[in-house]
Amino acid sequence: MKFSKLIIKNILRNKRRTLLTISSLVVSLFLIITLATILTEFTRGSEKSNPLRLVTRHAVSLGFTLPMAQQQRIATVPGVKAVIPFSWFGGIYKDEKNFFANFAVDATRLRDVMTEVDMSDAEWQSFINDRQGAIVGKKLVQLYGFTNGQRVTLRSPIYDRSVEFIVRGVYTGGDEKTLFFHHEYVNELVPAWAKDQVSTFSILANSAADVPRISQAVDSLFINTDAPTKTESERDFAISFETMMGGVKQFMYGIMAAITFSLLLVMANTMAMTVRERTREVGMLKALGFQRGTIARLFVGEALVVTTLGALIGIGGAMVIFKSIDLSLYIPNFQSFMPTPQTLLLAFIVSISVGIASVIYSAYRVSGMTIAEALRSTE
Amino acid sequence: MALPLKYNFRNITVRKSSTLATAFTIGLTVGVYLMVMALAHGIDLTLASSGEPLNLIVLREGSTAELNSSVSRENLNNLIYLDGVERESDQPLAAPETLTLIYKARKGMSQGSNVTIRGIGPMSNKLRSGYKTVAGRMFQPGLNEAVVSKRIAERFQGLDIGDKFRIQATDYSVVGLFEAGGKAFESEIWVDVNSLANATKRDTFSSVLLRVKDPSVLGPLAKRISDDQRLHLKAVPERTFYEDQQGAASGVLKVLAVFIAFIMAVGAGFAGMNTMYAAVARRTKEIGTLRVLGFSRRSILISFVLESVAIAIIGVGIGILLSLPLNFVSTGTANFTNFSEIAFNFRVTPDLMLSALIFGAGIGFLGSLLPSIRASRFKIVDALRAS
Repeated sequence: MKFSKLIIKNILRNKRRTLLTISSLVVSLFLIITLATILTEFTRGSEKSNPLRLVTRHAVSLGFTLPMAQQQRIATVPGVKAVIPFSWFGGIYKDEKNFFANFAVDATRLRDVMTEVDMSDAEWQSFINDRQGAIVGKKLVQLYGFTNGQRVTLRSPIYDRSVEFIVRGVYTGGDEKTLFFHHEYVNELVPAWAKDQVSTFSILANSAADVPRISQAVDSLFINTDAPTKTESERDFAISFETMMGGVKQFMYGIMAAITFSLLLVMANTMAMTVRERTREVGMLKALGFQRGTIARLFVGEALVVTTLGALIGIGGAMVIFKSIDLSLYIPNFQSFMPTPQTLLLAFIVSISVGIASVIYSAYRVSGMTIAEALRSTE
Repeated sequence: MALPLKYNFRNITVRKSSTLATAFTIGLTVGVYLMVMALAHGIDLTLASSGEPLNLIVLREGSTAELNSSVSRENLNNLIYLDGVERESDQPLAAPETLTLIYKARKGMSQGSNVTIRGIGPMSNKLRSGYKTVAGRMFQPGLNEAVVSKRIAERFQGLDIGDKFRIQATDYSVVGLFEAGGKAFESEIWVDVNSLANATKRDTFSSVLLRVKDPSVLGPLAKRISDDQRLHLKAVPERTFYEDQQGAASGVLKVLAVFIAFIMAVGAGFAGMNTMYAAVARRTKEIGTLRVLGFSRRSILISFVLESVAIAIIGVGIGILLSLPLNFVSTGTANFTNFSEIAFNFRVTPDLMLSALIFGAGIGFLGSLLPSIRASRFKIVDALRAS
């Protein structure tokens, strides 16, 4: 653009103001990006679910368990490729603060059903061969320094038992803050009421088309038994957890809207001050023959340069911070804490829109003044 | 000599839009802080009000919640005849209770949350205060009937009077709705403890509630139960039991509130600095004049700081006004102790407003420091010569 030099000069005229405005933009955008990332992680379970997987739980609630014997019958349902027990143990490692998920599973078929769990063949073999074995996600290793061969004791308040496991492998992929162990092994140690019981089954379907059919077929198998089931796609199961939290999404959107609005106020205030202070200059430009549109575009351009700079620093800063500290280590159920491309794009669009919206009125007003009015201004 | 406040007042009103924009920025910051804190506060106050001062709750040793606790019938008999347990016409004031969860869809949604079902005994209501049937009637002991908290009936599908829900092979009919003065059990469904035991085929209770004779017995009795090696139980004052749940439910929200508020405050502070720097620049000549008139550097500094704090306080006012309607909003979320819905109101309390005031005024104060120092350091001649 012909006047880019003039725009830059104008921006640099009050360096402190530009710096403060950009700083304000940067922190607000960082906050928006952080909140949007929290929201992404919050809905990851449903958004990134495996379309071939289903979960079976007791029809009343997860407060009830299912008999292990149901596994054989579920396996006979057409379309079911594999089914394993997937039982919440609720084990606590040393202290309640060290929360991580731990599940009792069928070690021999875990990798068939949880296809995202990745580990070397040797580790799989050593896990399967050791009844007392357990595998841990990479992030648990980062957090607690687990190593292969280490003995790890988990105390479960649900089953009132402390159980010792031996780490036999470290996996990557999926939720890397989970510990899996043999259902078989723990089943012998739990109290009588929990023997041969599981909290859920995880099912892998042959094809996506089979999923709704399996869901119905499984539930109809047990409908008139003591343990009626509810079988739903992994996605629906995840949504059932997400809706437990209530209106989190609306709440977060509300906060992000408030931040955006305050960003707009900050920017509009800055631009209003800038425009007002230059009213007489506008008169001068007009006297020199500058058109109204050109003058307005100068101001809009100035606002856009400031907001673009703010956006780039804010987005870049967030990327650097979240790349260097993995916050997901410390937040239960969060698998990662990296802003998605959509989030970054959103942040960019927000700042550009704020840039334009903030200056439109001031630019329109001042560029519409007559030469005499503008020159007479006392600012 | 201090500058008259009228001077600041005039200055604030003469640049209305700039003042308002700055105040609004602070107002939004304070408003968001209040909103998140009001949520955390609502949960805390609900839990804090839930325990009775003279009640002990007895759970299995090592359990973390009623849901994963169990107390055998045999142990119940050991408990109720202990010294220190209050009696009413020779009956010990003790209530064995059983807890379970039912997953229900929220109204207008296909998914929902777990709702706590509590099996209560004939004594339960004598140990709790605040229970009130607001529609229909209380369930009849021995029958498969249920009363549902009004808040829960409003938030979930299929829990109104006349509706039925199924636990294992037993169908329960909802016969009444109740309120409980905003306590935690106002998020529950109540049924007869024996019928629930039959329905769930459990022969143990989740917990036993005991009323003690007087406050001095509370601690010793709790210790005696917890220390008894044969029982494998632990007894906790009911108040403590609920207060201990506060952190799990509201801790995350408080961290979030402080985090968001802090970052927004930094942003608002920068914006406030901009406004104040502009005010200082615009009034350079004025400041020179004031100095000539004999006002000291210090009184000019104080004057600008006060002006900024005043704008911030207007902002706090806006923030509080924005958040006050929240007091009428009822909401619910998962309580991680029992993994079930806890319904509560947002609570914007006076102490919360006070913390918002201090917080907002703090932004105004810190944001004004540098510009005000600048204003106070002008040399008189330079200031007067400014255009």
